[in-house]
Amino acid sequence: MKYFMLLFTALWLVACSGNNGESAENKSFMEAQQPKKTYGKIQHVDIGEGIDGTMSKAGKEIFDMKCNACHKYDERYVGPALGKVTQRRTPEYVMNMILDTETMIENDDTVKCLMQEFLMKMPNQSVDEKDARNVLEHLRDHAKSAQ
Amino acid sequence: MSTQTLLRLMVLAVSALIMSCSGNNEAGGGALSGDAASRVYVAPGEKDEFYNFVSGGFSGQLAVYGLPSGRLFRVIPVFSVDPEKGWGYTEETKPMLMTSHGFVPWDDAHHPDMSQTGGVADGKWVFINGNNTPRIARIDLTDFRTKEIIEIPNAAGNHSSPFSTENSEYVVAGTRFSVPIPQEDVSIQQYSEKFKGALSFVKVDPKSGNMNLDFQLLVPGFDYDLARAGKGPSKDWMFMSCYNSEQANTMKEINASQNDKDFIVAINWKKCAELAAAGKGSMMNVDYAHNVYNDETHSASHTMKKQVRVLTADDIKGALFYMPTPKSPHGCDVDPSGELIVGGGKLATVIPVMSFSKMLKAIEGGKVDKMIAGIPVLNYKECLAGEVQRPGLGPLHTEFDGKGFAYTSFFVSSEIVKWSLKDFKVVDRVPTYYSIGHLCIPGGNSTKPWGKYVIAYNKITKDRYLPTGPELTQSAQLFDISGDKMKLLLDFPTIGEPHYAVACPADMIMKNSKKMYQITENKHPYATHKEADTRVERKGNEVHVYMTSIRSHFAPDNIEGVKVGDKVYWHVTNLEQDWDVPHGFAVIGANNSEALIMPGETCTIVWEPKKAGVYPFYCSDFCSALHQEMQGYVRVSNGGSGQLTWNKR
Repeated sequence: MKYFMLLFTALWLVACSGNNGESAENKSFMEAQQPKKTYGKIQHVDIGEGIDGTMSKAGKEIFDMKCNACHKYDERYVGPALGKVTQRRTPEYVMNMILDTETMIENDDTVKCLMQEFLMKMPNQSVDEKDARNVLEHLRDHAKSAQ
Repeated sequence: MSTQTLLRLMVLAVSALIMSCSGNNEAGGGALSGDAASRVYVAPGEKDEFYNFVSGGFSGQLAVYGLPSGRLFRVIPVFSVDPEKGWGYTEETKPMLMTSHGFVPWDDAHHPDMSQTGGVADGKWVFINGNNTPRIARIDLTDFRTKEIIEIPNAAGNHSSPFSTENSEYVVAGTRFSVPIPQEDVSIQQYSEKFKGALSFVKVDPKSGNMNLDFQLLVPGFDYDLARAGKGPSKDWMFMSCYNSEQANTMKEINASQNDKDFIVAINWKKCAELAAAGKGSMMNVDYAHNVYNDETHSASHTMKKQVRVLTADDIKGALFYMPTPKSPHGCDVDPSGELIVGGGKLATVIPVMSFSKMLKAIEGGKVDKMIAGIPVLNYKECLAGEVQRPGLGPLHTEFDGKGFAYTSFFVSSEIVKWSLKDFKVVDRVPTYYSIGHLCIPGGNSTKPWGKYVIAYNKITKDRYLPTGPELTQSAQLFDISGDKMKLLLDFPTIGEPHYAVACPADMIMKNSKKMYQITENKHPYATHKEADTRVERKGNEVHVYMTSIRSHFAPDNIEGVKVGDKVYWHVTNLEQDWDVPHGFAVIGANNSEALIMPGETCTIVWEPKKAGVYPFYCSDFCSALHQEMQGYVRVSNGGSGQLTWNKR
């Protein structure tokens, strides 16, 4: 009973919409409350106008090795599809999710909702900042070419 | 007077006698001072102050405890197979247990010794001996894994080992059982003429830690027992105790206890090494295994080596001496200054304390009583600094607190005796429960002891713990030595038999502790670095599964086309890159063990299915909320094309 109460409280604290915004078109309830606080160690990412092909290529290497076992581009898998993630999440969100996973899981409401949906804590894959930036560039590249 | 009253009086008298002999019983019995519990209490989530590496004795392993709590953190597999960790079962680790006798799945591990820099424990490696099939292992303290095992040829019972020199230039291996060298089919009655002792010096690479059998000294066929390197002024010397100077070959408990004195061997290892390097002595044909674990391939290699340089007394004149010591010595311990060498004659009534500077003078002055096989026996009195009188019964082993005191264990009278290095007078004694062997003070074998605790490693526990049938736990006991009097704080159980142990401050090791292996640096020949590369390949009747694991699935997890008679190699790479997330891999009917794969590592288990059917495999180490879902199937067919299919990612 106690456990159930705790669970109930947690659910109450994080009010999630049925669809947690995993499609770019449907903005979740929480996301409507912008601007959001940025959790994690990356508070600002400089994004260039275009796509840096070299960075994107390097990012794909890391993505294949450390992310792809759970994230596909177009299908929901162990985790959400990431093919268009840069259209629905900020660059800081993507970077912090990779680099500061634990902080995001604990604090960010969107991530808390995703936890309820996927029931799997995303592992920290010990990616360094440079590689994380490259992964972001790769995801931006993918989102752009998918348009 | 009734019989009962008489009996009571007798018991009283006997206990009074015992009391008067052992002096101080303050910490005995259960008469603990009230704050003992708080002194060893490490609150939940807090950490211990010291690591304590305790030999597992006949378990063949090395146990890691925290002090002062006495909590067991880990058992590091060394000389014995360990199915829990796949040690000796995975293809990667099987070569570690190869010897000149083939695959040996067990040993008797006695003495851990930590690597040192400038005479101080440095937290890099622990060396430990295998007594039965003579070997030395090196354990890496960044990931608490055995990284190297070298076999010692010409030895039998590698007991006097692996004690390290001041900068771990060498670790030593003296044979407890002398044998014919080279081995031959002779009568045991020819012991004194045919049997020899081999004292091996294994060179340690200061950077990699890799061991190399540099040279052996061939000495008379005594039983070489324990050793300790010199330090400071005596740093170029190794001291080693030996008994059975009678050269008995039967009923040694009587026949090897005849002589009033046996010996401490004093070896100028620096000089011997120089002579060996200059080509002195001769190369002897031998067979010994050298097994090295490679951090990049996560795999061990096994090599048989064929030769060793052997030096005799004639080759190293002036570098090898016998110092008489009473009687059947065990310990042979050098104080932090490097000047005093303490013998531990099991049958002696005193503790002899030898002086290094006097020994040098005796050598210079030719104070030689006799020669044994070309080795000068120095005069006892000329080398003696003093004797601790009436210390107790059965002195074994001594360590030091760095504050001017020595602590000697006494097996027969079951106690620790504290005595002063200034006047060799006993200042305190405390009983142990029961029958202490070695003892350990953190850094107590070095130039810098952290003299806060002494730990007794006992052979017998009898009534100290809940009974568990005929076989009882062995145990350690922690004593506070920060004050004048030793105080018993804690009993804690140990694995196997705790022979010797080493301890050092926790931060020395914690700061270097690895959290995972980098997947980008994994050079295992069968590694799968990304899920897209997972596949199954056939090579004749060998099936190689290139599998990955991550919370919480295997890829591939459906495999078909395996045939009865195939040998399936499950090469599982753990793609996790987070701390404390190993995955297990287990498949039904495996005749070996699970694989327990650390983040970034690749492990291989061989499976030979015997009947057609569909068989599950699963993750055996709880990894996430969906751990129970981490499973798959392999289909095994009778005959068929053997064409392999699997679900591609």
